[in-house]
Amino acid sequence: MTKQSTEGPTLVWPKKYNEIPKAVFEMEELWPKELETIFYGEEWHPIVHRAEIPNPGDYKAAELGEMPIFAVHGEDGEIRVFQNTCTHRGTSLITESSGNKKELECPYHRWLFNLQGDLVGCPNSRDYAPGFDRKNFGLAKLRLEEFCGLFFVTMSDKTPPLKEYLGESFYEPLSRILGGDGRLKLIGYQKVMYDCNWKAYCDNDGYHAPLLHKAFALLNWQGGKGFQKVTENGHLSFESELKIPDDITALEDGSILDFKGTETSTGSIVQMQFPVTVYSKHMDMLNIRYAFPKGPKGLEVHYAYFSHEDDDEEMLAHRIRQSSNLLGPCGLISMEDASVFSRIDIGNKTPGNAIFQKGVEDEHKLSFTVKQNDESGNLPRWEHYRKRMGFERSES
Amino acid sequence: MSKLSNDTVSAVENLNRDYICALDNMDMTGWLACFSQQGSYTFIAEENVRRGLPIAFMLDDCYERLQDRVTQVVDIQIDSTEHYQMRHFTQLTNIVEQESGTVRATFNFSIYYTQKDTNHTKILCVGRYEDIITLKGGKAEFKHRKAITDSNVLPRYVAYPV
Repeated sequence: MTKQSTEGPTLVWPKKYNEIPKAVFEMEELWPKELETIFYGEEWHPIVHRAEIPNPGDYKAAELGEMPIFAVHGEDGEIRVFQNTCTHRGTSLITESSGNKKELECPYHRWLFNLQGDLVGCPNSRDYAPGFDRKNFGLAKLRLEEFCGLFFVTMSDKTPPLKEYLGESFYEPLSRILGGDGRLKLIGYQKVMYDCNWKAYCDNDGYHAPLLHKAFALLNWQGGKGFQKVTENGHLSFESELKIPDDITALEDGSILDFKGTETSTGSIVQMQFPVTVYSKHMDMLNIRYAFPKGPKGLEVHYAYFSHEDDDEEMLAHRIRQSSNLLGPCGLISMEDASVFSRIDIGNKTPGNAIFQKGVEDEHKLSFTVKQNDESGNLPRWEHYRKRMGFERSES
Repeated sequence: MSKLSNDTVSAVENLNRDYICALDNMDMTGWLACFSQQGSYTFIAEENVRRGLPIAFMLDDCYERLQDRVTQVVDIQIDSTEHYQMRHFTQLTNIVEQESGTVRATFNFSIYYTQKDTNHTKILCVGRYEDIITLKGGKAEFKHRKAITDSNVLPRYVAYPV
């Protein structure tokens, strides 16, 4: 199935649009190419919400592909994202996941940067090379755009503007996950490592059949009416009404499942942004899942939870206990998702293709019309991936 | 250590032993029995505690939630979990009387897990318990047990309390 070319590994893709070669999850040699064409290519990646670094000097470390980066809230109120490396000899400047600094000092030769990224101090510079000019040694800044307080970066100058890239069918529901106006407050993180290839997570965290959720059945809670929308570049949005019965007999404390929100008529929005980010709003939980592939195997997911600035104390307390108990790596309704990731990963070590069925009307054509519980909504993302990676579709 | 009686320290140590043995034996009824009727349980990352962020991995803030934790493990997720064997190692590091009949205790913990039917044993998390324990008639119960994990990124999804 595979051959090594001068442009890196390749993979012959099945002719049918609903078939994905299992090898795509297992071939470690794909990772460098994925870095180049996807993570460092023409895609936008969410890094930080303003609510996570609300004050001047606040910073948050992250990764883009294998590159360490950090976001920092400047003295001028602006948020910027820099490569996490001193422009002298490359030492990393930020070592903690978050914190607050007045300035950024490299411990190696005491080069000093302000929060805007300018080099403002470098001891003994009279002995430096003749061409040295500190103006040329500011921190390397990434291209940045904001949507409802959420900051995205891209490594490419060619990536279309953010709203064009996301499309209205994606950014409109995203705005509702981000509180409608982006005026959010961070209430905390749950972080976990999932033992699977990053693409297996993409196939299953945003979308999965309600069949997976025994909790739904036990709570007599099935999804109400809803729909899916998918973009040509693989971003996928689900919306559905939540139908939670008044009397939940399986639980002693049913209040954990209350839906108090009034900001939207639907109870559930889940979005999967290419390549690897999930956003969700179930009931009163506002959640961004920043995901960081650790090479070809292993994916670190940071579930960030938010409240809204206008919440009263009761709503805030409700969001905290609901978010802590229903979602994430221990959650009542989401732990089952996590258990599937690693099982899929084990199963993918067998030959052949993973075959999508539900909602596929024509195996030889890509469709962007997807019903609420169809799994075919994943296929445009796979097609986008295939094109980015330059894999040819088989003719037979 | 303050001047607590040996009986009090023993009662606290026994309660902790009952707790960790219940979890290592997958005995959720035994786990629940360690809490008083006013009991509560939190499992939270150290990073959130340090930053004053309230989100936890598990937040059972009343007795009914503790009962529902048992239901979640025993009934709701029993089929979907890839089960693992836990081994808790704990050490009492501080114990003080808060008021008559109530003590505050801190234990360090390290917890290993072995995936069922494999030989893979790894560290699940390392951290500390911060406890409020009530003593009545020589019997100790958790009014609150807060497990704070230094391992901010869990190595897998976590199906059982720690």
